[in-house]
Amino acid sequence: MDKELEHSFVTNLEQNQNIVHKVCRIYTNDQDSHNDLFQEITIQLWKAYPKFRGDAKFSTWMYRVALNTAITLYRKSKRSIKTTDLDTINFRLKVEEYDDEIEQQLKLMYAAVKQLNDIEKALIFLYLEDKSYKEIADTMGISEVNARVKMNRIKTKLQKILNP
Amino acid sequence: MDELELLKKDWKKQEGGFPKLSYKEIYSMILKKSSSIVRWIFIISIIEFLLWASLDILVRLNGMYAKVEQPGMDTFSLIASVISYSILIYFITRFYLNYKKIEATDSAKVLMENIIKTRRTVKQYIWVNIGFFTIAMIVTMGYILFFTEEFKNQPVGNHPPIWIVLVGTLILIAVFVAGIALFYRLIYGILTRRLKKNYKELERLEI
Repeated sequence: MDKELEHSFVTNLEQNQNIVHKVCRIYTNDQDSHNDLFQEITIQLWKAYPKFRGDAKFSTWMYRVALNTAITLYRKSKRSIKTTDLDTINFRLKVEEYDDEIEQQLKLMYAAVKQLNDIEKALIFLYLEDKSYKEIADTMGISEVNARVKMNRIKTKLQKILNP
Repeated sequence: MDELELLKKDWKKQEGGFPKLSYKEIYSMILKKSSSIVRWIFIISIIEFLLWASLDILVRLNGMYAKVEQPGMDTFSLIASVISYSILIYFITRFYLNYKKIEATDSAKVLMENIIKTRRTVKQYIWVNIGFFTIAMIVTMGYILFFTEEFKNQPVGNHPPIWIVLVGTLILIAVFVAGIALFYRLIYGILTRRLKKNYKELERLEI
């Protein structure tokens, strides 16, 4: 492979790696699986890179490939253990910045998000990333109306998980 | 939903908390091999094509055809070979074209559809093959039973009644087909369970 292409790809990914980390955080529960998924997303991004023409921002382009890998392409390793304790440890990064009540609420929210299915997680992720409904619809391959309907359903579902 | 807004704010704050991978670490990652579902489906499909194609060759080398081939069966077995190789070439071409279409930059739904299509091509190939084998077996059996001198000229008491042979053959075929079907369910069931579930979830939205 072209050295120049390699260099521009690795540099781009190095600068935008947070997007991949965030996808991994939504879809995995422990550090090993996180690294595993990160690895696979990197490979898929690299495979798709020759077709990246630069008409979109690199970061925008990444969302699609990263989510597609997490939802469809990636084969979950057997290592991934489902423990809510681990989620919250993984998720909560700057604990000291919050007072206890908000802290508690956030903890519950993150745990609730973990209970959503793969597709719902993708939608919530894009929502948290401040993507428009049009972008969400394009990424998922559904209509904008459906994206809105689905988001509302997810919100209701989250509410139900939080207040059973 | 207030909690969601709270979550959104917190979500944006987490940026700094991630491990920062170095250029070198990312570079070493692109050299590794993918373990994606598409790669697995590709490998397994190629093995399937090879397996079915080699079955024919194996049967020939074994001299099994020679045993079955009676005068008058020549044309039949020639036609059968031509058909089975055309089928193989047709399906491999279709499989390859479908496989090429799979791109991680498509929307989630299109990507899933393309993977399912690729998978379906191989599945169709298997079923066409099973059907083909079944017909070939029945035709050969029928030919031996009704047209070969050996069988016809034997005194009635020397061979089992025709219906026993027929039922026996049918049971054999049924067991064979069921075995293969079970095998595929196991392999692809495990491989594509999550894919199918997620695809259904996306489709459900369209209603």
